[in-house]
Formats: sequence, C-alpha cells, structure tokens
Amino acid sequence: MPLSLPGYAGDWLERSLDRQVRLAVTGLSRAGKTAFLTSLVNQLRHAGLDARLDMMNCAREGRLLGAQRQTQPDLSVPRFPYDQALAALEGTPPAWPPATRGISELRLLIRYKSRTNSRHFLGEQRTLTLDLIDYPGEWLLDLPMLRQSYHQWCEALSAQLTGRRRRFAEGFLNQVSALDPAGTADEQQLADISAEYARSLNTARNEGGYTWVQPGRFLLPGELDGAPVLQFFPWPLEQLGDPAALAELPADSNYQTLARRFEHYKRTVIGPFYRQHFRRFDRQIVLVDVLSALNAGPDVFDDLRHAIATLMQSFDYGSRSLLSRLFNPRIDRLAIAATKADHVTPEQHDNLLSLVQALMAEPLRDLRYADIPVKSLSLAAIRATQARTVEHEGKRHPALKGTTQSGEEVLMFPGEVPPRLPDADFWQRQGFDFTAFRPAPQTSGEALPHIRMDSALDWLLGDKLR
Amino acid sequence: MNDPRPGRRFDVQDDATAKKTTAPEAPAFEQHFVPVDPAPGARYQLDSVHHPLEEEAPPEQIDSALDHALAKPKKRRWGLLSVLAGTLIMGGVQAVETFQNAWFGGDWVSGAWSVLGLGVVTLAGTSLTKELFRLKRLRRHARLREDIDTRIMDTQMDGDRMKALCDRLRQQMGLGNRDPHWQDFLQAHQAHHNARETRDLFGHYVLAPRDASARRLITRMSSETALLVAISPVTLIDMGLMAWRNLRMIDRLAALYGLELGYASRLRLFRAVLANMAFAGASELATEVSMDLLSMNLASRLSSRAGQGMASGLLTARLGIRTLKMLRPLPFEDDRAPKLSDLRRQLWQQMKRVDDGKAGKGRADNV
Ligand SMILES: Nc1nc2c(ncn2[C@@H]2O[C@H](COP(=O)(O)OP(=O)(O)O)[C@@H](O)[C@H]2O)c(=O)[nH]1
Ligand SMILES: [Mg+2]
Repeated sequence: MPLSLPGYAGDWLERSLDRQVRLAVTGLSRAGKTAFLTSLVNQLRHAGLDARLDMMNCAREGRLLGAQRQTQPDLSVPRFPYDQALAALEGTPPAWPPATRGISELRLLIRYKSRTNSRHFLGEQRTLTLDLIDYPGEWLLDLPMLRQSYHQWCEALSAQLTGRRRRFAEGFLNQVSALDPAGTADEQQLADISAEYARSLNTARNEGGYTWVQPGRFLLPGELDGAPVLQFFPWPLEQLGDPAALAELPADSNYQTLARRFEHYKRTVIGPFYRQHFRRFDRQIVLVDVLSALNAGPDVFDDLRHAIATLMQSFDYGSRSLLSRLFNPRIDRLAIAATKADHVTPEQHDNLLSLVQALMAEPLRDLRYADIPVKSLSLAAIRATQARTVEHEGKRHPALKGTTQSGEEVLMFPGEVPPRLPDADFWQRQGFDFTAFRPAPQTSGEALPHIRMDSALDWLLGDKLR
Repeated sequence: MNDPRPGRRFDVQDDATAKKTTAPEAPAFEQHFVPVDPAPGARYQLDSVHHPLEEEAPPEQIDSALDHALAKPKKRRWGLLSVLAGTLIMGGVQAVETFQNAWFGGDWVSGAWSVLGLGVVTLAGTSLTKELFRLKRLRRHARLREDIDTRIMDTQMDGDRMKALCDRLRQQMGLGNRDPHWQDFLQAHQAHHNARETRDLFGHYVLAPRDASARRLITRMSSETALLVAISPVTLIDMGLMAWRNLRMIDRLAALYGLELGYASRLRLFRAVLANMAFAGASELATEVSMDLLSMNLASRLSSRAGQGMASGLLTARLGIRTLKMLRPLPFEDDRAPKLSDLRRQLWQQMKRVDDGKAGKGRADNV
C-alpha cells in the first residue's frame, strides 16, 4: 500500500461521510480527456467568479465557493500538469494542452455551502474531495487483455485484421508467416517482428485513424522501451494449428515464449496499472470523439464502437450502500459525452447526442440492466468556435467562426451529423468535413469558454454538493 | 435540407449574425400524387404521398382544470349576455330620456334620479368590458403556457425559438427589458442551449425569485386565515373569512406573475382550483388534511377552535399551492414545487401559540 495508515484512515472517514469522490475520465487517446480535466479544474477554480456554470445548481445558487488543488495521496505519481496546459492555452498563438505521455493525478478540494438540514449541526461550509487521474488513452486499451489468454487474444485480433487494417499490417504478416510456432525461439527474430508489429500499430493509428490498437504500451512504451516484456505480438490465427497441440509445445518454442511474455505483460504492466488507478471509482464520464470517427470513415467508426463496448466491461458498476462505499466502491452514476461539440453548429447537437447514444447502444443496455443512471450530453471542454448565422443568397444559414490549426480564420458550415449510425449512403456522400480548430485566444486569468461542462459537472457531482 | 453543403465556407465578412434567426422556412414539398381509381388491386406509384393510418388516439385526459375552465365555453351564453347588454342600453336610453324631460319640465328630483341611473349604467358597462378584457388575458396566458409545455418536445424547437417564447412570457409578466432578472437570464443563455435548457434557465433566473415571494405570501396568508378562523366565534363568519382571504390570495398570487384579475377571472380561477382539487381526488384532499392533523396528534393537543383554524389554514395553503402551480407561466420542474409539508410546521406552531394565549381564559370559562 503506498498510502500511510493515517491518510488511509482519513480517506475512509471522508468516504463514509460521502465527501470524497473519485471520478473516472475514460476515453481513448485524443478523445479529449486532458482538455476535459483542464477545463474542469479551471471552471471549478473560477466558480462564483467569472465561470459560466448556469446549468450547475450549486453554482447558480451561489453556493459553490471555489476549489483548490492539493497534493495527491500517492506521492509517487506526478501531478496533473494543469499549469502547463493553461499556459499552452493562453499562449500566442494559443495551443491545445500537449499530448499525455504518462499517468498523473490531481486532488481537488471543492468548497461549498450546504443547504441540507444537517448544516445546522455539521456546519454550513463543506468540502468535497475530488480525485482525478489523467493517463494516455492508449494504455486504457490494455485493460480488456486482462481477461484473455494468449490464444484468445490472437483469436480476437486476427478477427479484426481486415480491410485497410490488413494493409497496414502487411509487413508484419509477411514476417510472421516465416516463423514456426514450434521452432526454438530466437530472441533477435522475435524482437524484430515485435518492432515491425509496433510499427504497423502506429501507422494504423496515425494514418488510418483506428482507435483499437493493442497492446497500448507499444505505442507509448515510456520507460519500458526495448524491454523484452514488450517483445511479443498476436500470432495470426490461420497460421496456428490446433490449440491443444500448441499447449503441448516445449517451453522454449516460439509460441510458448510469446505466450509467456504475454502473461508477464499482463501481470507486470497492465495489472498494477489497473489495480492502482482503475478501481475504486465512484463516478465516470466516458468521452467519445464521434466527430473524428465520422470524419475518418466507416471502418474506423465501427472500430470505435467496438473499442468502447469492450472497454466499458473493465469497470465495476453497481449501486452504493454505506458498506460498498467503504470497502468496494463502484461507479453508481455515469455520463456519456460526445466531445468537441464546438466543431458543429448548435442545431446539430441533438443529432450528435442521438448518434453517440446509438454508438453506445450496447453498453447503455447493460447499464440500464444494472440500474445505473446515465446521462448523455454533447460537450466541448474548451470551446474554440463561435456559433453564427450567415446571410447567403437571401437565406440564413448556421455557421461556425473559428481559427483553424494552421491559423486561418474561417466561417463555415461543417455539415450535418447523422442522427443514427450512418449507413452506406452517408459514407458515399461523405456528409461531414471536420476541421480542427485552434483554441480561441484567452485572456489570462479568465475562465475557459465551454459547452455544457456545467451540465456534466452537475450530473456527476451535483448530488454531493447539496 | 442539404442546402449549405458540408464544409461549405463563407466569406468571413458575410457574417450577418448577432440578430437572431427567423424561423427557417419549411422545405418546399412537392406532391407527386397520381389519382388512381381505387379499383380492387389498384396499385399506386411508389413515390406518391402516403401517410401512416391515423390512429384514433384516445382523447388526452385534461389534467389541468384551468385549461378546462378557461377553454371557450361550448355554448356561449349569448342569451344572458344580450339581456345584460340590452338592459344596460335600455337603462341608459331611458335615463337620458327622463333627464331630458326633467330638464324641460323642471322636475329636479327625477332629473337627479336619472343622472344617478346613468352613472350606474356607465359603471356597470365599463366594469363588464374590463372583466371581459381581463378574462381574455388570463386565457391568453394559459394558452402561452400550454404552448411552451407542449412544444418543448418538438424537435424543431431550438433554443432560439424557446428564447423568443420566454421573451413573450416576460412581456406578459410585465417585466421590462432592463429587469435585472431578465438580464441575468440573457447573460446565462448561450447559443448552444437547447429548448429545455433555455426553459430551465428562464425558470431559474426569472421565475424562481417570484416563486419565493409566492411561497412567502402563501405562508403568510394561510397562517393569517388560520388565526382569524381560530379566534372568530361564529361559523358563518368563518366561511366568509375563508372566501374573502382565499379570493384575495389568488388575486395577489396572480399579480406576482403579472396577471391582473377581475372578479370574473378570479371567480373563474377559484372555481378552477376547486374543481382541480376535486378532480385530483376529494378523497386525497380529505385524507391529506386529516392525516396532517392526525400526524400531529392534533385532537388531543389543540382546542377545537384552534383545530378548526389549523384546518382552514391548511386548506388555504393547499389552495394557494394549487393556484401557484396553475398561474406559474411554466410548470414546476420535478421536485421544485412548494410542498404543503413545508408550511405545516409553521401553522402548527402558530396555533399552539393561540391555544397557549387562550389557555388561561378557557380554563376560567370551564370552571
Ligand atoms: N475544438 C475542440 N477541440 C478539442 C476539445 N477537446 C479536445 N480537442 C482536440 O482534441 C485533441 C486531443 O485532446 P486531448 O485532451 O489531448 O485528448 P486525450 O488524449 O484524451 O487527453 C486536442 O489537441 C484538441 O485538438 C474541445 O473541447 N474543443
Ligand atoms: Mg491526454
């Protein structure tokens, strides 16, 4: 346990009083997690001053007093780089917070005035402790591997290897086909093929726009770069024979070596990450970047749907009682957000919302079955555009005004968002043109503009701030 | 509706915004209906206009008795109205005639009488028109409210149009454009807010301050009524008091939401409220009030006079809350509506005080 006993006991006390919340901000890489966290901290710090939190009850009633950052409980984990993120946003030209390369934590103390009856004897001013973590979205993809054996993993990935994805993996497939599962393992050869596999993952992600790429550490190895634990790969199923025969192979065979490394990866890399950071959540927000997926095409879109459905199985959901709050916290309330909503005109938000609901239909059904309250919303953590209407040939059209990443100022209509999962017809017309915007210039020290951060906060924390 | 092509860019100078959009026109709808004789086996062109069979939806239960009461009466009482108008006109003509005769005949007494009559006729006429006018306003108010309530579900309804409706509500409530609450609302409202969010914001920034005053008013008036009834000795006076206080409360609640009520509209509302209470279940009312009393073990702890006061106070409060729910330009969101239980404690304490005050005297009477 990295926590000292008094601190741990203190956490318990807070938990039993229901004054501590651990919020899971879940999303694949580039979904907007870092932007969301930056905006969340920013809005809460500016609450009651210049932050516009009109859909948040506690704030609009004037009861939210503000928030302060505090040293996080686990001192061995870096602190969430809020100041750097803000500095980037306030720079000239403004830039998005840099991509996340490792794990970081943040503890926020939220001060508010209670209006419940217990305020008469417990005091009116209360503090809610909010624990947040940020991590590279790539690493999240590893969680489902915890429940798979090496053979099952090969099976799952081989099934996915179709279409464009297969093209990206061409080089890797060629190299593996020369390898014999029963042959004696050659360190160098395995290392080379693994490197080739990692390269194919990188192209699939960066050029193809695919989100479902496993193992996630291959993309962002961090301090594990070059270690043998990262030297394995999924063997295409068609090249493997009967599973029973494979299990009989000697320990130094290629297949057994890879299987061993896979297990080791699970045990030493994914396991600790999961245990230390991905349990004990009380609330969750799932960020989904549907717009980028729409932009990239049908297979990427399907890929995203599959990735999210699989990911959601790695979290514990259930209702809370005093006991479960103390010993086995579970997520008892959930928000699903379509991020970067400032990329579309306001009248498209309804469609965006129903699209994200359609995309998440399967997990939503499970959550409903588990009786977990879910709210879906479209949000932009940091609003980069302004909604406008344009007079064009005698008619008025909705439009967005913003500055593109390359610095060009534009006034445009990005297109209609399909309200349902897009059909072939939509992809033919390619009804969407997504332009990445640069954040709007910020006056230093002012609250960041946003879309529906207040609704999200109200849903996730509102009941704790009464 | 694919008019602006996706990714279409406009000139940055083109930006004509700031002013809000008017409703976009409905797309021109071309009809390709080819009339065919519906002979057996007749086929229609696939692209002809067709609709789903209209299902006979069961008429919706009218929940609000207000709408019921304010709906145009099916049979206008033209007879009554014309008799009234005729009487007024005839009375006026006759008064003028009598006055002329008196003027020439020097009959001062009948002249004075006719002037008096004319005055009465004018007064009656003006108040009648005023009543009709105010009744109409109340009806318009109810319609707007209903409009907002039903159209919130409409997908076509976006935040801008809801904002326009809210603006109409503001005008009806008699708030100026510079009203601080309205300005707060304008500040809070942003382009991305949808109809529901806009309504929520309007509710919070413009209506909530009024709701608070309304709540205070109900508390005050119901406890006043309770007190008056508790100390008045005669039942007949009790009933008169109740009627008077209740009508007055309705009037003042209406004024809070910018409605000016005449006698007719007040009576009408009163009737509607009573009807609503009856619809909502006379039994519910009876049980709730008696439960309220029982739960405080009233029988054994309050004198019968104070008990009566308490009961009429509770009734008044209940009536006030119902009226409030009807008059509020937007229905309350889920749990924000004021509850009877909030008022109960206050009434109870007041009645206890009445009892304590009278205790000494009561004992002296009993001896
Ligand atoms: N316009 C806009 N872009 C956003 C927003 N949030 C994120 N982005 C874009 O998405 C990119 C990735 O966001 P980031 O927060 O780093 O994603 P993460 O990998 O999930 O942490 C950013 O660099 C931005 O370009 C937003 O609210 N509005
Ligand atoms: Mg990040």
